Amino acid sequence: MIVTWRIGLRIALIMIVAVVLQVSFFSYLTLFGTTPNIIPLVAVSLGLLGGAMVGAVSGFALGFILDSVLLATLGISSLTLLTVGYLAGRYREGTQIANTLMPPIMIGVLTIAASAAFSALQLMLGIDTQVSLLVLREIFVQGLLAFLFAIPFYPLIRRALRPAIVDDVVAGRRMGTPIRSGPKRPRRRLGRRRSAGIRRATGVS
Amino acid sequence: MYRKQVRRRRAVLVLLIVVALVLISATFSQSQSGPLHTVQQGVASVFAPLEDGATRALKPARDLVNWVSETFNARGENSDLKTDVQKLRSQVARLQSAQGENDQLKKLVGLDRKGIFAGYKMVTSRVVGASPTVWYSTVTINAGSGDGVAVNDPVINGDGLIGRVADVTHFSSKVTLITDSESAVSARVLPNGPQGVAEPEAGDPSTMLLDFIDKSEPIHAGQMVATAGWTNGTISSAFPPGIPIGEVRDTTVGQQETYQNVRLTPYADMRDLDIVQVATQGPARPGVGQ
Repeated sequence: MIVTWRIGLRIALIMIVAVVLQVSFFSYLTLFGTTPNIIPLVAVSLGLLGGAMVGAVSGFALGFILDSVLLATLGISSLTLLTVGYLAGRYREGTQIANTLMPPIMIGVLTIAASAAFSALQLMLGIDTQVSLLVLREIFVQGLLAFLFAIPFYPLIRRALRPAIVDDVVAGRRMGTPIRSGPKRPRRRLGRRRSAGIRRATGVS
Repeated sequence: MYRKQVRRRRAVLVLLIVVALVLISATFSQSQSGPLHTVQQGVASVFAPLEDGATRALKPARDLVNWVSETFNARGENSDLKTDVQKLRSQVARLQSAQGENDQLKKLVGLDRKGIFAGYKMVTSRVVGASPTVWYSTVTINAGSGDGVAVNDPVINGDGLIGRVADVTHFSSKVTLITDSESAVSARVLPNGPQGVAEPEAGDPSTMLLDFIDKSEPIHAGQMVATAGWTNGTISSAFPPGIPIGEVRDTTVGQQETYQNVRLTPYADMRDLDIVQVATQGPARPGVGQ
């Protein structure tokens, strides 16, 4: 991914929208007995689209914003999300993603990894209470939900960052269709004087 | 060139991991007024209006999704609820007659008790954000120090105790729910049962455990559990006595154990909180920091 200022701003906007949606919408839902968590989904998607550096930095920033908004212990979410973002990026750098199901599967697997790492960190930092086996179910269901949510969300994030994704730009050039972002602009009609000049030069009347 | 890129990538990764570890350690070691905490509160204050707006705007969509999800579970609950309604009707009849007797007795002895929250100022607010994990059962409400909310203030809703204020910014507050892994509430089994500590079971937000109840104490399913509000002069509970917490679901006694395992079902649905009340500016409780 070619990260320019505009793309950096888009990534920041995606992260802010994701955190606001998570704390104001997804955290209130109960699906299959658990709460969906789209934050690892966004970190892994950014890693899969942008590579290891983008994944790690985005994961760290997402974790920092989330912990700050929830006034939770700073650093725990950052540590887990930067790890999964980095791993997703490393996977993308080493493998050609040809199958369209591969990103959702990676997102599901890495969400399970993120939830497990988060739980492990919580236990290491001293949870002074009994831990139910339902935690395991929660981790796996969150992975499943992340897989399902990734099917619409990953293409959306990809679309938002499309001008910066090298694969898409190269593919677009091969197909002869330039990659544009934003609304399609109508082709400007040539001026009368310019079209007359072209007709003279080409001999076409 | 490639090696340089790899080296730079590794350096950034190591740097981020170190920063994350420093943040964890600093958060644990720093006081509530430390610089890191101030930064965190600043970010939370910036996001508070966004959360507030998004929560209000997305409420219909949220309700729709939850309605679909709950419809699937409703069939099984329907027959249970019918049984519960029958039990509750008979309870209401008994309680109404008891209430009448109680009022007369109060007048007789000249008591003027205003209720559980006598001396408190109640601040009504709305839940605008919630934590996505089972480890942090916290919610953000749109009332902060500007409204008189302070750390450790009890928070309730129409069903009973929700939690207590753990952190405040000017416009918002973080509420640690009673189902949070860090929560422990001194509680009493009503009407005249023993006192214990109501703690959550991490991983299951619909269950709590009442700890330190001697196995010789007779406790039955359906008994109400409320805050004990104890004090011994130097330290005391953050909650006034009598706030309903939940009801006893079941009890088990292990042969080798001193205490029995009492499982509670909290009255309040922690996954569906909307309007809550914060009891602020109450009487000073020794040992409870403000």
